[in-house]
Amino acid sequence: MKRLKVTVDGKAYDVSVEVIDEISGAALSAPPASLPLTSVPAVAPAPIVASIAAIAPKPQASGSGDVISPLAGKLVSVEVKVGQEVQEGAQVATVEAMKMNTYIYAPKAGKIASVQVNPGDAVDEGSVILRIA
Amino acid sequence: MPISKALLTILEQKRRAAYAAGGEEKLAERRKKGLLTARDRLAALFEENTFMESGLHAQHDCHNFGMEGKSMPGDGVITGVGYVDGRPVAAFSQDFTVGGGALGRIHAKKMCDIMDYAQKAGIPLIGINDSGGARIQEGDDSLSGYGQVFFRNVELSGLVPQISIIAGPCAGGAAYSPALTDFLIMTRKNANMFICGPEVIKAATGQTATMEEIGSASANASVSGNVHFIAEDDTQALQIARKLLSFLPPNNVVDPPHRPTPAVDMSPDPAINELIPSDPKAPFDVHDVIARLVDGSDFLEVHRDFARNIVVGFGRVQGIVAGFVANNPAQKAGTLDIDSSDKAARFIRFCNVFNIPIVTLVDVPGFLPGVAQERGGIIRHGAKMLFAYAASTVPKLTFILRKAYGGAYLAMCSRDMGADAVYAWPTAEIAVMGAEGAVKILFKREISSASDPKAKEKELAAEYREKFASPYEAASKGMITDVIEPAQTRAILSMVLRNTLSKRETRPPKKHGNIPL
Repeated sequence: MKRLKVTVDGKAYDVSVEVIDEISGAALSAPPASLPLTSVPAVAPAPIVASIAAIAPKPQASGSGDVISPLAGKLVSVEVKVGQEVQEGAQVATVEAMKMNTYIYAPKAGKIASVQVNPGDAVDEGSVILRIA
Repeated sequence: MPISKALLTILEQKRRAAYAAGGEEKLAERRKKGLLTARDRLAALFEENTFMESGLHAQHDCHNFGMEGKSMPGDGVITGVGYVDGRPVAAFSQDFTVGGGALGRIHAKKMCDIMDYAQKAGIPLIGINDSGGARIQEGDDSLSGYGQVFFRNVELSGLVPQISIIAGPCAGGAAYSPALTDFLIMTRKNANMFICGPEVIKAATGQTATMEEIGSASANASVSGNVHFIAEDDTQALQIARKLLSFLPPNNVVDPPHRPTPAVDMSPDPAINELIPSDPKAPFDVHDVIARLVDGSDFLEVHRDFARNIVVGFGRVQGIVAGFVANNPAQKAGTLDIDSSDKAARFIRFCNVFNIPIVTLVDVPGFLPGVAQERGGIIRHGAKMLFAYAASTVPKLTFILRKAYGGAYLAMCSRDMGADAVYAWPTAEIAVMGAEGAVKILFKREISSASDPKAKEKELAAEYREKFASPYEAASKGMITDVIEPAQTRAILSMVLRNTLSKRETRPPKKHGNIPL
């Protein structure tokens, strides 16, 4: 069992990792065990279902509550209501472009202050979909 | 007669004065702020007791503007060679406590000397940048010093890996040296990098800009794409540098440090079968796929915060080092655009020059449409990807996971771009364009003359999708190597990577191609 300190997007996590398979090979001096890894933590062996909701992209602007569309397309749906409390990284809207759904996430935790567009409306890259207070 | 004690004492005193740099108080002050000193950084980079310094006793010889007699230990930069993971690496570390780390003639000479050595020895160069810029007192000599450093950055480019760490100010001309290197790692605190700062911009144009907007690590990493890695602090920056080096050869005539497992494990990985959603419209995060392919899910992502619709980085597959290029459908529908084309092309060319095989994972619906893209030059930027792949002679292995439409399909290392093997998952859709668009063109007359055009269009689209939105049409023509089950991907990739390591390709001799820039 290895205990590691993993820093993701500025947040540090204390992670315990069970090494299942040690890669054998040329004897290069192993890095000291106390060094935190800077890469993706080891994935659990259980079947993995892509958990889209858990992946929060980098916030658009630090502190800004504006949820903007990353690309031009059609607003498919808004997953939240005005007044609803959301966590940072929660899915708040879906935009369709290139026959693909792109999920939009909350850049910060807060309350939905207003929704600027309706399902079916066209959105531009950078246009505001909704605002979080 | 033994050596005179007096001589040894003098040497010891000179050494101590040089190690004290800008003074013990200044060094302590930095440590209190959570910053490493220039020497601390080298100690964190190199294995203990391996650092062989050159130029400890260097001194400036400027007589102008009160410089006469002013002591600048090491002239503000520490240079030498140390060991990382048992391999020698050259480095320079600018010392902010000595005259603000400003660059003068001797400072630049020390940097040039260590770069010349790195070239001769064929070892990587790490530059730790932390400097107020040119030493104004030395005027033209400072400027020329930068020029000599830039010239050598270009000489070394493609010969040895060059990694720059921006650990402090890096402004104006000084920013061009890191910009010419292969990878830039920037610390979140204390560091900034820009050509014209907020004051200059305000004075020249009247525009108001904050340092956060133009010179911060976040702006450089996610907006302008100047920086490939953000580190929380100095220590992490050096860890990233060491991690990066672990995938790279010391120079261009040597293979990367492959550590092939004694046997190739061909067992299937059923978990990867779960990753593609059954709804073709639903996105997935390609990081999850990469995590199942690389050893220990240990993937060093490069340029993570820039052009997130494409993912690039290094990993090992059963010990073999590979560079990954993968569309990410979770961002901008996985389309190719100006920024992602630039990001991928640069990475591909780096892998090519340092003998690193390239693994391409494809799920791309096309190039991103839009006025900004067209006027921004998506043509010449997108062309970079085609150029980079076609010009590369390293093993190129492509896996088509889902969509692969049109020009974007070609740009993601298709067979015709020189891929050595192209594998498709059963979910692959390889076509010149999507079904809806295709039938509108092919069956224009049938649709318009039908009693219910919308229904006819839908019917034809479904037929087209069944026939062409699959890998089998392309497979029947020999355009792809094989259709495989996702669970077999890691096993097949491991095997094929090994088979192609001996690939050698010769191209017609020329000075160099003219990549669209």
